[in-house]
Amino acid sequence: MGKVIVITSGKGGVGKTTSTANIGTALALLGKTVVIIDADVGLRNLDVVMGLESRVVFTSMDVIEKKCDLEKALVKDRRVEDLMLLAASQRNRKDDIKPEQMQDICERLKVEYDFVLIDSPAGIEQGFHNAAAGAEEAIIITTPDVSAIRDADRIIGLLQNQDINPISLILNRLSPTLVKKGNMISKNDVLDILNIDLLGIVPEDEGVIASTNRGVPLVHNDGSPGAEAYMRIARRMTGQRVPIPEMREDNFFSNILNWFSRK
Amino acid sequence: MDFKSIFSRKTKSSNIATQRLKLILTQDRFDVSEDSMKKLQFELTEVLAKYFEFTMNSVSMSLKREGNSYVLMADFPYQESSKLR
Ligand SMILES: Nc1ncnc2c1ncn2[C@@H]1O[C@H](COP(=O)(O)OP(=O)(O)OP(=O)(O)O)[C@@H](O)[C@H]1O
Ligand SMILES: [Mg+2]
Repeated sequence: MGKVIVITSGKGGVGKTTSTANIGTALALLGKTVVIIDADVGLRNLDVVMGLESRVVFTSMDVIEKKCDLEKALVKDRRVEDLMLLAASQRNRKDDIKPEQMQDICERLKVEYDFVLIDSPAGIEQGFHNAAAGAEEAIIITTPDVSAIRDADRIIGLLQNQDINPISLILNRLSPTLVKKGNMISKNDVLDILNIDLLGIVPEDEGVIASTNRGVPLVHNDGSPGAEAYMRIARRMTGQRVPIPEMREDNFFSNILNWFSRK
Repeated sequence: MDFKSIFSRKTKSSNIATQRLKLILTQDRFDVSEDSMKKLQFELTEVLAKYFEFTMNSVSMSLKREGNSYVLMADFPYQESSKLR
């Protein structure tokens, strides 16, 4: 029996879709069977980030309306074995789907796959509730700023009321240089405030934008700091003990070192 | 945190963000108005002042998440001089 995990945040634009694509790909690279579900009905983009937009024929809406089988609606990834995408309908609205319907899809998928990851829409309305309906566990994505952390706190409260457990945190777009200058909330302060388990830290990485442009998840690009961070997160999710390294500052010296160690 | 420290160049913006967040989250988690919070804080101070000597308005309250529930924390500065009355 696999795990169903919702990836959510409250605030928009903090990295839910990026994280779903990269963690899903990383888990598949580690040999797990994975389905990633786009639950952002009406504003779908997980297919684009994965570079699979041209392969999408059916969506979760078609499965719900019994226009096609669940298996047939799954899109196979172009690069990794055992990685599937269930796309969201672009023409429907978030309240066209009911929580029970999402729950049913998740129940059926977790029998066949090791991991079912759900990319939640922003907000705390119907779309979020649908995304969380079939999940047993949650990953909260936040960036180190006041409004994202505030929204994360609200979401954690809502998920705890639904008995979703464990709930862990990914701190995205951390910049060690800004933290050191005193212009960014530090990892320890975020953890002290939210008081939930830390699953990983993903640094600010220009590579994320380039990878989205190409439609190739960052984890395929060995050696970039973001890719390494997502690989470590995936390893932790498979039960390996991988310590969270203290982030090194981005300075002249480390840039030179990086330059020399580049392939 | 006072008004002056918000605008002082010397206070790091990350410290200000952390302080503001703690205040905002305490209110969000309590789900009460700022007025009720202030009133509770004031009344708590009054009760404590019956037993200890300390400056009024120095109680600070927060809700800390502990697993699936919250713990109400009230801190007040206790000094050697704050002898039990
Ligand atoms: N670690 C990172 N470094 C640099 N850019 C990032 C990082 N993470 C995310 N981004 C950028 O932030 C933007 C938003 O990311 P993404 O779409 O994953 O967020 P989201 O939470 O899914 O947004 P929405 O709420 O709209 O669904 C994208 O342009 C992405 O490239
Ligand atoms: Mg998204």
